[in-house]
Amino acid sequence: MSNFKKETKILKSLKDVFEIKGSVKSDKRISIKADKKNVSSILLFLKNQKGFIHLNHISCVDWIEQNEFELVYIVWNPKTRLTVMVHTRIKRDEPVMENIDTIWDQANTYEREFREMFGIEFPGLIGAKEFILEDWDNIPPMRKDFNSQQYAIDTFSTRPGRENAQNVREAIQKRSGEEIPDFAKKYSRD
Amino acid sequence: MIREQETTLYLGPQHPGITGNMMVKLKVKGDTVIKAETHVGYLHRAFEKLIENRNWLQSFTLLCRFCVPEPDPMELTYARAVEQLEGREVPERAKYIRTIVSELARIQSFLLWYGGQSGSSGLYTLGQWSVGDRNYILDLFEDLTGARIYHMYMWPGGVRRDLPEGWIDKAYKTMDYLEKRLTDYNQLLFDNAIFQKRAQGVGIIPKDKAIEWGVVGAPLRGTGIKHDVRIDEPYEAYDQLKFVVPTYEGGDVWARALVRRDEIKQSISIIRQALDKLPGGSYYNRIPNPMKWTVPAGEAWVKTESVRGEIGFYVVSDGSNKPRRVHLKGAAYAHGVSVLEKILPGQNIADVSFILNSLGVCPPEIER
Repeated sequence: MSNFKKETKILKSLKDVFEIKGSVKSDKRISIKADKKNVSSILLFLKNQKGFIHLNHISCVDWIEQNEFELVYIVWNPKTRLTVMVHTRIKRDEPVMENIDTIWDQANTYEREFREMFGIEFPGLIGAKEFILEDWDNIPPMRKDFNSQQYAIDTFSTRPGRENAQNVREAIQKRSGEEIPDFAKKYSRD
Repeated sequence: MIREQETTLYLGPQHPGITGNMMVKLKVKGDTVIKAETHVGYLHRAFEKLIENRNWLQSFTLLCRFCVPEPDPMELTYARAVEQLEGREVPERAKYIRTIVSELARIQSFLLWYGGQSGSSGLYTLGQWSVGDRNYILDLFEDLTGARIYHMYMWPGGVRRDLPEGWIDKAYKTMDYLEKRLTDYNQLLFDNAIFQKRAQGVGIIPKDKAIEWGVVGAPLRGTGIKHDVRIDEPYEAYDQLKFVVPTYEGGDVWARALVRRDEIKQSISIIRQALDKLPGGSYYNRIPNPMKWTVPAGEAWVKTESVRGEIGFYVVSDGSNKPRRVHLKGAAYAHGVSVLEKILPGQNIADVSFILNSLGVCPPEIER
């Protein structure tokens, strides 16, 4: 760990103030796990006290097996060029997360997207309800339980005369009388 | 007495400011913008969702289509993220070829930008020239990868094919030709009084707020702040090549244009150096059967410098043969929404497209 002096110092300063689990992942990368209540305080601390003024990215991962969403906040310090990744998990049943667009304005865009794509609520979020989708009444589409193939079958109709040509390979075989090669059968998407 | 009344104006979804469809809802008084609001949703193709249902290699056909003017940085970033998850080594020769391809991709995107930036100020000639010359770069791509725009060439473990015979010579000649042409371009654009007047003092990004607002790439370097992923966190062969990161003060469209002008010269120099130093050996570290290929569980955050600025991929694997999550952070995500909404008030309506071009907004990056 002696090679990661700067990284270890930041991690220690975070552990002194907050209850977190974390490790130095690699050169210039620190990864921490925190409770959702502490996330905004951690981000504010990193921004105001430690110089992590650039919000690189916010991401969301659906862990449907554990019934949780994972939110990842990635912040960057332009002076030391270190990156901190703050992970937190929220329940899928009550998807509510603290709004951080008062810390970084551009977080507003991410949060509006997550509200629409994952159905996560951010109390106090300003901005039009519809960001990308229009008149959407199904479950939020980036959730793992949303089946895009089934949605397409249910929503869109088949072109008249093509009802029996759903499986392209089969249709070609029937019309031309050619055999489907073995490799194509083996790697069929179904 | 001039009666001034507030009016709402819808710019777009199709307008000369950007490649792709995006609407800017403007509240104007006279011809001055008071408030701007970005509206996206015209291009959503659910790429990130579709990638989750495909295996690690099939994703490449979708990835490069995230942003039309610049498909290569997407491939490279994703390939690097997968390599990071797997701990896969890349041969030295592949690193150099990847650097050359990335810089060629930068040059072709710069040439498109020349067309867009000059076209939105009424100078149509330059666009015809630069887009015409861009074809010489696309010829190089076609010889190398078999395709002109979407290449799917940089794969995990290296690149798909080695350089064909005679390609290096052709690349040198193309660079020589482009270098000569740049003088003509710059005389036509930067010595032009109309462009100078339109670009100077327009669309200013304040230096003290730039990093906090999430500004990256040429717009950031146009405020005098020197940050470039190629230097901050070098990847591929960039740490073995010499280049300068140009910066200009001012934060306006003019400064951003000057940064880009100088960056093309640097890209040409990088390509020449990489071609000179190109090592021998293998170009590909073979991956297993792609249909059965699983990537160890974990997460990766990888950044690359594109023409529009820093782009990143957050990739999560659960140990299966498909990615759990692939999330792109494009430069336009901040530039096209929150930064644009902040700098447009007070500007002239005629300058909106002009400013959009100088920020390098690419709407498909906002809605993936």
